[in-house]
Amino acid sequence: MGPLEGLAYGFSIALLPSNLFACFVGVLVGTIVGVLPGIGPVGAMALLLPSTFAMHPATALIMLAGIYYGAMYGGSTTSILVNVPGEAGSVVTLLDGYQMTRKGRAGAALTISAVGSFVAGTVGVVGIMLAAGWLADVAIQFGPPEYFAITLGGILLLSRLSGGSILNAFVMVALGLALGTVGMDSISALRRFTFGSVQLAQGVDLVPVIMGVYGVAEVLLLAEEGIAKTQIAGVKLRELLPTPEEWRRSSMPIARGSVVGFLTGLVPGPAAVLSTFISYTVEKKMSRTPEKFGTGMIEGVAGPEAANNGATAGAMVPLLSLGIPFSPATAILLGALVVHGLQPGPLLISQRPEVFWGFVASMYIGNLMLLILNLPLVGVFVTVLRMPQHVLATLVLLLCLVGAFSLSNSFLDLWVLVLFGVFGYALRKLRVDPSPMVVALVLGPMMEKTLRQALFLTRGSVVDLVARPLSATILVLAAAALLGPPIVRLLRGRRLAKPISHASNP
Amino acid sequence: MLARAVPLVLLVAAGAYLILALRLPFGAAARPGAGFYPVIVAAFALVVALAATASAFRGAPGAEIPAAELDVAARRRVTISVVALLAFCLALPWVGYPAAAFVFVAVVLRYLGARWTTALLTGAASSAGSYGLFAVLLDVPLPRGPW
Repeated sequence: MGPLEGLAYGFSIALLPSNLFACFVGVLVGTIVGVLPGIGPVGAMALLLPSTFAMHPATALIMLAGIYYGAMYGGSTTSILVNVPGEAGSVVTLLDGYQMTRKGRAGAALTISAVGSFVAGTVGVVGIMLAAGWLADVAIQFGPPEYFAITLGGILLLSRLSGGSILNAFVMVALGLALGTVGMDSISALRRFTFGSVQLAQGVDLVPVIMGVYGVAEVLLLAEEGIAKTQIAGVKLRELLPTPEEWRRSSMPIARGSVVGFLTGLVPGPAAVLSTFISYTVEKKMSRTPEKFGTGMIEGVAGPEAANNGATAGAMVPLLSLGIPFSPATAILLGALVVHGLQPGPLLISQRPEVFWGFVASMYIGNLMLLILNLPLVGVFVTVLRMPQHVLATLVLLLCLVGAFSLSNSFLDLWVLVLFGVFGYALRKLRVDPSPMVVALVLGPMMEKTLRQALFLTRGSVVDLVARPLSATILVLAAAALLGPPIVRLLRGRRLAKPISHASNP
Repeated sequence: MLARAVPLVLLVAAGAYLILALRLPFGAAARPGAGFYPVIVAAFALVVALAATASAFRGAPGAEIPAAELDVAARRRVTISVVALLAFCLALPWVGYPAAAFVFVAVVLRYLGARWTTALLTGAASSAGSYGLFAVLLDVPLPRGPW
């Protein structure tokens, strides 16, 4: 099926009433959790995952992905109006977005950010259509050695990019990999690290871990503050229209942000967050007045807001064509597909076209819904912010508890939830990013399986394993990304250190 | 203190994990057994834990953990929430979901600063509402308790 044919078919799936409804629920929930600071899209996706078990896989994917990209729209609203990021992908937006609010241009900032998100979302969907198909064609030739290289390279890259020290990231990776080995060995059916527990033989389920680390932990942070009142700037409907000058200045940043975002999404790492920083830096460099950034420049809103939406689209490519999630959010989407017995990978597009194309088409529809939801109705979502935070925090905790239990009606999942909630809270206090652990927990079992299959194929030769052209390329690229920056810094540091040491020892 | 304790805990955990992993059948490189990959993971974890310990004891820059100070009230709110979560998990099989959820929401809300009346009313409403949604509509077998 060609891209256009596929898309037409996809629309026939996405426009089914049940899928339209799922899409609407997804983007609505996404917008709300995006608007609310403290509760992010990943936690919300984990919470709603059990409710998708009874749905068709395409419907489940449409709804959960809607939460993910919907949150990118909602997050900017809070950044712009309250000077608090609604979610991590909107941190950069508040630099210039809130300054625009102070200058009375909140409406313009909101409109530009919604339109930018819409453009990037649409560009991203075209990107998925082209890239995923192409990558799937390439990936059909991949064997276990290549998949091993991709998972290993992905984990290494993610540790590099997740922010904070690489040592901390490696600690998280080690923990995730070790957790991934708990349970029945997939090849020999031997029980590992279960200490005799029958429930542990199933392994540590990803979802209560994610709910804990991204749901409970965030709520515990909210609980620190107790009752807090937020100051919200009001916006009138007729103030929403940007001036022709503002439109003109935003067009190129939106275009650049869309591309930057999509490309960042393809790479393992916290793509949505990272892409906004990259886009902001790019816009500042391209600007004739970089010194004015941070004082309410529309370019600083347009670029990053487009970028984070492009990134959510880009992140779907490795998931759909390789079956490999590089972020906690896509790990949940993978989980949703696996529950239905689907194995995302190069064959997904040809074997289950209704899932792939239905999902792609739903992203067009979802982005259109979001544009409508976020512009005229922005006032409605702002009232969500007026909901008392302590009530919200408590109810989210209760939902996490019920949600974790309903996954497999197991008390063990409840304990995992609470344990990882407290752990995630501690990590936030220590400023350590938990996402390498989550991704390693998902990729670990894949890595083990492919490693053992690959060694079996190469009769135990590690050289043959890594010397195949594709796996060697992937590993070299990952190593370069991992070791490149510290080496460059070291070399630069030496050059810089000399004059400094002269200055300090006259 | 904390900055040095954490890597030491990691080191012990990685060591224990290695010992357990070594007890599993290792196999050979051409026929890796169930313990093959866990041993590799354990080796990686040990190296990382050693590096973390070394950097903590050398006092390398960045090793010091930035402990954000919390006031007493904030610390108490977090502690109460955690205790309530643990108590919920412990009590659920015995008292059932409706009772556990009611007490959980009421207590947490009260300690986060709500008035008693608000806390009790929200507790009752959310317990009944979530039980109706999950147990009745979605067929989740939430324990009902002895009543």
